[in-house]
Amino acid sequence: MSRAKTVALVLACALAMAGCGDDGGGGKETITFWDNNGGPARTPVFQHLIAQFEQANPDVHVEYVGIPSSSVQQKYDTAIAGGATPDVGGITTSYLADLVGQDALEPLDDRLSASPLHDKLLPDLVDDVRRAGGQKLYELPSSANLDVLWYRKDWFAQAGLQPPSTWDELLADAARLTDKAANRFGYTVRGGGGSVFQLLSEAYAYSSVPAFFTADGVSTVADPGNVDLVSKVAALYGKATPSADVNNGYTQMVAEFTGGTVAMMHHNLGSSGDLMKALGPDKVGAVPLPVGPSGKRTVVPNPTDGFGVFKASEHKDAAWRFVQFLLSKDSNSYWNQQVGQIPANTDVYEDGWLRTNQPVAMALGVLRAKDTVLATAPFALPQFSAITKADSEPLYQKVLLGTLSPKDFLRKLADELTAAERDRRSHNG
Amino acid sequence: MHDRVARLFLPLGAYLVVTLVPFYWMVVFAFRPTGSTALVPWPITLDHFRTVWTDLGFAVFFRNSLIVALGTLVVVSVFALMGGYALARFAFRGRRAFLLALLCSQFVPGAMVLIPLFLVFKATHLLNSLQGLVIADSAFQLPLALILMSGFVRGVPVDLEEAAMVDGCGRLRAFLAVVLPQLRPALVAVGSFAFIGSWNNFLFALMFAGRQDRFTLPVGLSYTLGEFNVDFGALAAGGLVAAVPVVAVFAVIQRFLVQGLTAGAVKG
Repeated sequence: MSRAKTVALVLACALAMAGCGDDGGGGKETITFWDNNGGPARTPVFQHLIAQFEQANPDVHVEYVGIPSSSVQQKYDTAIAGGATPDVGGITTSYLADLVGQDALEPLDDRLSASPLHDKLLPDLVDDVRRAGGQKLYELPSSANLDVLWYRKDWFAQAGLQPPSTWDELLADAARLTDKAANRFGYTVRGGGGSVFQLLSEAYAYSSVPAFFTADGVSTVADPGNVDLVSKVAALYGKATPSADVNNGYTQMVAEFTGGTVAMMHHNLGSSGDLMKALGPDKVGAVPLPVGPSGKRTVVPNPTDGFGVFKASEHKDAAWRFVQFLLSKDSNSYWNQQVGQIPANTDVYEDGWLRTNQPVAMALGVLRAKDTVLATAPFALPQFSAITKADSEPLYQKVLLGTLSPKDFLRKLADELTAAERDRRSHNG
Repeated sequence: MHDRVARLFLPLGAYLVVTLVPFYWMVVFAFRPTGSTALVPWPITLDHFRTVWTDLGFAVFFRNSLIVALGTLVVVSVFALMGGYALARFAFRGRRAFLLALLCSQFVPGAMVLIPLFLVFKATHLLNSLQGLVIADSAFQLPLALILMSGFVRGVPVDLEEAAMVDGCGRLRAFLAVVLPQLRPALVAVGSFAFIGSWNNFLFALMFAGRQDRFTLPVGLSYTLGEFNVDFGALAAGGLVAAVPVVAVFAVIQRFLVQGLTAGAVKG
């Protein structure tokens, strides 16, 4: 009986302890910061920057909360509905419209105009977040993330090949580097989660159609050039790619690439850290996504990452100070160097690491080149995510398996996007 | 003997291979260095465990998970015992309707009550607390536990209690001295369901905590799958850290668990 009592006592203590904890503020102003992609790659970087910020701003304490990226939108939505939002949050343009629609964010236009940062942030990125927020600035961009073609330098050298600059070269190289008997494939197709957004960036790179919609609001997705590219990629599937690719999300693609199964992978700069850690810069290189027959470079940028201040914050000035600190030259440089992305603060472009980090330097060159056309995906359409994911990803799998034609697939996708855009225009007058 | 091999050991062996290969893969990823493509975890490295335990904060998440899961186990077991006994032994108006309501409550997904629960917890200052999680998890585990426990109690003959009462026991004493010892396997079954359910709950753990030091293991595990990057070594090491205690507990209690599941409600 005494043993049972001891166990009960321990459990009661454990429950009582559960609620204990200190505020950690010590009379300071405490602001809460939600990192929208918490994890081993970013959490230590933010913790380092927060320590520096607190040293320079002894009156402010920053409470870091890392949110897993897969659930961040649901976490924000719940917090908004429940009235418990953070002071500062990491945000990307893919769900910025959703947050703005709920009137959760503070417009930052005036604060930026009066800030030393006003002429320091890359104009393309500022335009991008402004467009996604409905022509007001609810998010300040911290970095850009471009799609690139990762390739195995060592395999290309062994085969005496140069990395491809056109889609036709890519298809030929993929076939050449495939050796099924040795379980080696030239390329990997993303057929699972996130496939259609990636496919669209390939299609527009190939067709060099400069925008997702015509001036009349008709989707350009079913352009013959786009159909051509989807047909070529579908023809590659199974011949120069693993058959399992039909279910590939980015995790499986990265596993195939780092596991030494594939020679080329289309992903973005975000996987840089994992690839370099696993294979090293001697074996991995990055080139711009190949161009199509016109030779023009059209880029579909990834959602732009940045920071926003929440309207319900009771510490907006301190929150703004923290955002400015994160986007200052030194912080923005450190952050982007650690995560391998393109800095938004243009003062960073003179930093030495940008010249030696080949993938980022290459992507920055593409972004800043005068002849690069940015075909920004319509993230401001509330239905964009549902159309390109839930509606279209299973259909793309049918295309890969040969049971749906690329033309019919893109036609259906284009019709849905056109309807959504018309809906948006009619609501906005 | 040959017959036994063909009919018993071969199918069981094949089944084991299918079941255990993913676990073996997890062990390989957890112990081999990043970038290695070896099929065995050699040379061995503990780097991934250091990453999850120290850098990702699994030490704190583990403690939180343990507190929440044990708390849920205690709350659910105690209330299931009381409620299950009442449902089995007392005839009262609305009993069948109550049982039906308990059953129907299992059809409500957690995500549906997320925002109402969030508002209630906010008003009662239970956000960011592990007690709040214990309450939320217990509320979701309790209906099934009540249904199971009432079945188990029904399996204990009323005559035993009546004999104890004839010998001078009150109802409480008769319950504690006679019925409760018979319910040990049932308690193990109900408690382990509650423990596992709470241990694995991701949604409430993420949504009701707004502080890093209040998260539990499932949230920590999802950190390893980033938006653009995935750390397979850390994912596997974290998976092992999360799975091993549960497997160990099951190894110890499985005798009672099997007994519990066959002794009560589901007995033919």
